[in-house]
Amino acid sequence: MHEPAWIQAALERHERGLIRYAARLTGDRELARELTQEVFLRLCEAERSAVEPKLAAWLYAACRNAALDHGRRTARRGRVESSSMDEHQGGSSALEELETRDESARVRAQIERLPQKQREALHLRFAGGLSYREIAEVTGDTLGNVSWLIHAGLKTLRERLGASALDGRA
Amino acid sequence: MVAKSDFDADDARLSAYALGELDADESRAVEALLQRDAAAREFVAGLRETVAQVERAFAEPTAERLDEPARAAIVEHARGERVATASTGNRLRVVRTLLAAAIVVAFAGGTLLVTQPWDKMSSITPWQSRFYRDGAGASKIERRGPSQALNAPGSNELPKLRELGYTMAGEAAGGPVWRYLDVGTGANQPATSLTEPSIEAAGARDFILGVGGGRREIEQFGTSSEEYDSIAEHIFRRTLDEALSTFSIDVDTASYANVRRHLMSGSLPSSGAVRVEELVNYFDYDYAQPSGAAPFSVTTDVFACPWDARRQLVRVGLKGREVHAQERKDSHLVFLIDVSGSMSSADKLPLVQRSLRLLTEQLDVRDRVSIVVYAGSEGLVLEPTSGRERGAILEAIERLESGGSTNGGAGIALAYKTAREHFIEGGVNRVLLCTDGDFNVGTTSRDELVKLIEQERKSGVFLSVLGFGTGNLKDSSMEQLADKGNGAYAYIDSIAEARKVLVEQISGTLETIAKDVKIQIEFNPARVQAWRQIGYENRALAHQDFADDTKDAGEIGAGHTVTALYEIVPVGVPFELPQVGELRYQTPRDEAPAARGDEWLHVKLRYKAPDGDVSQLLEKTVSSAAASWSEAPLDARFAAAVAGFAMKLRDSEHTRELSYAQIEQLALEALGRDERGWRREFIDLVRRAGALTR
Repeated sequence: MHEPAWIQAALERHERGLIRYAARLTGDRELARELTQEVFLRLCEAERSAVEPKLAAWLYAACRNAALDHGRRTARRGRVESSSMDEHQGGSSALEELETRDESARVRAQIERLPQKQREALHLRFAGGLSYREIAEVTGDTLGNVSWLIHAGLKTLRERLGASALDGRA
Repeated sequence: MVAKSDFDADDARLSAYALGELDADESRAVEALLQRDAAAREFVAGLRETVAQVERAFAEPTAERLDEPARAAIVEHARGERVATASTGNRLRVVRTLLAAAIVVAFAGGTLLVTQPWDKMSSITPWQSRFYRDGAGASKIERRGPSQALNAPGSNELPKLRELGYTMAGEAAGGPVWRYLDVGTGANQPATSLTEPSIEAAGARDFILGVGGGRREIEQFGTSSEEYDSIAEHIFRRTLDEALSTFSIDVDTASYANVRRHLMSGSLPSSGAVRVEELVNYFDYDYAQPSGAAPFSVTTDVFACPWDARRQLVRVGLKGREVHAQERKDSHLVFLIDVSGSMSSADKLPLVQRSLRLLTEQLDVRDRVSIVVYAGSEGLVLEPTSGRERGAILEAIERLESGGSTNGGAGIALAYKTAREHFIEGGVNRVLLCTDGDFNVGTTSRDELVKLIEQERKSGVFLSVLGFGTGNLKDSSMEQLADKGNGAYAYIDSIAEARKVLVEQISGTLETIAKDVKIQIEFNPARVQAWRQIGYENRALAHQDFADDTKDAGEIGAGHTVTALYEIVPVGVPFELPQVGELRYQTPRDEAPAARGDEWLHVKLRYKAPDGDVSQLLEKTVSSAAASWSEAPLDARFAAAVAGFAMKLRDSEHTRELSYAQIEQLALEALGRDERGWRREFIDLVRRAGALTR
């Protein structure tokens, strides 16, 4: 049996990031919350000593797997919904369409247009708040690779967004 | 001369440096590069800007967390306890089943019952509801939230409760009956004690959710005290018996934003929160601009009804004259802001401040702004200030802080007084009330507030209500205040909604182009067998009030569109209506006169100029052929999809056969240009509702 305090601490520290990250992956906030709950329930069943040293990496990897599993399940059922991974990878989720009216949505839309690996690294970094090392542990890439992916992603964003988006912002 | 640059834009260390990911040695190396190379400095500064943009893009205002039940389930699981992790949809389905049982129980007794004996209520929640019938015989509910907790009533407290006007169930037939809901405080009460379904709210026709059956419900309903008036849907009428429909227009959109807030947070709204006309009117429709003297145009269509092949839909659309920003009249706006303790959460006062900042940025030398705040007491915190001194207005908005109780009545009185004292003849004089609607001290009864507002309306000062926040939203009070105050009620659930109401539609929100707009429709029994109005239930007027200029009705703002929909059953179509038994003195009217057999209906509209007292009349006869669904204008089809969605959310008997997936399809086909993305957002809501009911 686990002492719930460390689980609670993990919740405090990571739930928002995980929900944001899952929402980015699936394009569906409600689903994101469900997946996040699932991740924490799995965390309760995991061996604390094995997980705790790389907690963030473990949580985000579990979240990513849960989202991929969900995507496969919905795809198998042949349903096409806003929450399906396939549609997301097409680059135009319902969430994204919905958000085009707000300024930040422009930034997010540009992120969605990046190559998949770059996009994932940026999601983990900015939605999840993970360090390069933690990202490498989630995706299984090398540290150098993660560094390059993020740099390439930011550089492309810089070119596409330009400096103008910052003007006139409070 | 430009120094030669030797840095490599593909050097990933530059991003790592901007993100603080480098160790000390690497950082020093990059810093050395930045020292000597201006282009590298500029490049890194650019990366930093991009990083800031991305960070902002991901810092969603609603930093979402799991809800309390989900967190509790995780902690319990960590303790080694078994928990159910049903999806939201399943949880809600459970609630609905229990609800059905609860209704049966409630009606079986003929009245509402206290289901537990007093002495068994050991741990009483500080949360009560009172059910009673008002003067008109409608069932009403009154609730008192945690702030006015009464402890577990012992025998010595019962007289006190009676003094407060409470009556124990069964004590006085016909009198107010109240009921203690024992759904637990969530924190201390074990879930096992929450097995009994308890009805939370009752209406004349329908009971609203409120079941203490599980953890989510404790969170969702046990601590919430949002109030909605129940709505009884219009029924089909046989044209031979009743050919007239009279109602006031309504440009409120609050219900849509509120429904959206519910669905986005993963719950279905209670049916009283869904006002069909407000959902339909949330969207702009492409009606013709008014030509000639009338301040608005009238568009009518007859087209196939997507949820019943035997029926047709009739659409009556009004479009108010556009007033461009340059033509806007001089204005004096009094921001009346609730700064009581209940306004402190992020979706209340902080959002009020952001919203008013957006509005203030639209203002200029023609405008003046005053700010009145109220909590336990009221005060004028900004004297009338010209829009030229925008900085001073923004600063006053910035300084607002919340705390204390809520004396809404005194605040409203002071705001009107300020507006009257600085009245602009021929201009816009408007109080903008920003609140969650919780007026808990002072002039608190809704009736007294309404009287006050009706009195003040005569001075030419109009009142608009901007509703904010969740949890104790008093939707019903706010709608009524705006209605009586010659203004609209909008619910601001996000900064995007604030932008819609206060920036994109600022002319319509501020500038009224016609007031007391009433519509009367006469159906032709030669062509229409039966009819039913969709929505506008609380806007119905007595037929004789149509031409009575002393009777108040709705206002239409610049550029506003207003849409009313009817379901009609053409003559000759087999259709069963509820029959009255045989009557002794009446001659049954079964024969429709053949006159004007090509006409469906005749529309009459009355309206007054914003500062006028005498109404003008507009008339229009509808005799066009009914269009098939695919021939109908896209806008008409979209409006029908929205109406179908609203009826479905209200669990209307008329949309039983219509699924959320079908509604989504209907709306998708009718998207049109959708430049601002509102219609796409609607489709997302339909999907969410569908997922919640699966």
